[in-house]
Amino acid sequence: MVTLLSFALCWSLCRMNDRSMTSPTHSRFYNTNERSKAPVKRNTIVIGITLLVLATFAWAGWANWMYRKQAAERALASASHADLVPSAPGDVPAGGSSLTGKPAPDFTLEDLSGNKVSLSSYKGKPLLINFWATWCGPCKLETPWLVELQNQYGPKGFQIIGISAEGDDLKPDDKEGWAHDKAAIAKFVKEEHMQYPVLINGDSLAAPYGGLDAMPTSVYVDKDGKVVAMQLGISSKDDMEEHIRKAMGEGQ
Amino acid sequence: MLAVAALLVISSAAVFCQEDSLSGSPRQSILKLQAVEYLYPEQVSVPAGKTSPVTLHFRIRDNLHINSNKPRAEYLIPTVFSLPENSGVKLVNAAYPAGTDFTLPADPDQKLSVYTGDFAIQTKIVSTPGNHLVEAKLRYQACDQTQCLPPKTITVPIDVIGK
Repeated sequence: MVTLLSFALCWSLCRMNDRSMTSPTHSRFYNTNERSKAPVKRNTIVIGITLLVLATFAWAGWANWMYRKQAAERALASASHADLVPSAPGDVPAGGSSLTGKPAPDFTLEDLSGNKVSLSSYKGKPLLINFWATWCGPCKLETPWLVELQNQYGPKGFQIIGISAEGDDLKPDDKEGWAHDKAAIAKFVKEEHMQYPVLINGDSLAAPYGGLDAMPTSVYVDKDGKVVAMQLGISSKDDMEEHIRKAMGEGQ
Repeated sequence: MLAVAALLVISSAAVFCQEDSLSGSPRQSILKLQAVEYLYPEQVSVPAGKTSPVTLHFRIRDNLHINSNKPRAEYLIPTVFSLPENSGVKLVNAAYPAGTDFTLPADPDQKLSVYTGDFAIQTKIVSTPGNHLVEAKLRYQACDQTQCLPPKTITVPIDVIGK
């Protein structure tokens, strides 16, 4: 682009110069004692304009380089600035598209006793699907809130489903690995007095549930099976209660 | 002069067009980034058959922390360095730095023992004679103030020359 512009400019200037040197009118006009001064004046103007244009290109190049440098620094800063602020309700969870406004993807997982449990078996109920992990501090922190909220809103038809997603990518035939996971999950469930259903192998739902890149991840579903809010990370008990009320069709 | 003015406008436009095309690039998800990066050394030379100290340096991404080697709660995953067996290099000992105290805003009463920023593990290794490209491992689990990433094991490549 710059090369083309430079070429066009030089061509225009040369044409101007040629015309001025060959034009009879011009020759007549300068056919006095100013004749010797005129080309010098023209040349000065041409050189001046050329320098101005070159300076412009230099400025453009410098400005562009500075901008790119700053943009690269900003990109690096934003990439390394892993401030995982919890997403607002309906925000797009990192690594996946937002489910808000869409039907909650169906699933069938096992509980700790090996019983198969499907999301469809909770049809007609407002739900909180809470993905958590045994190694996750914020999950441990919010679990007592979940227990209290289940006690508070359970009698009104609300249901929490806890789904453990340990993130260790166990193969189905890794009996030792699954036994270890189940023992850790059972211990957590017992310690935290989790009276609501807890399912395992939540990692298998990563694709339909937006990646599940971090724990905890909470998905609030209304009685029609539609996701009304999605929360990545811990927020507060009040926030959770607000989302639950939204899922129940209260406090819209 | 008109041509010059036009050129000025065009060159400015060219600059800002390039700005737009750059800012339009997709932003990488921060959750997909590796929380811990191995810094150095890439190569160490040690006397073969003798226990030698090697200090390994790591960096944790801003605003993330990982559990120290001795987290205060049993359920938390400690940071652990290891060497693969039959690599020609044996890990005799790994001395981890003490963790720093960290509290989650939602639970100011509980103190966690974590690493943030740069940290170093002081190892003692014994190498057999020869050049060994060792793929050591560092297992850790990272969180920020509100959420946690799954535990991860990264490869720490070190060229160990036993002389």
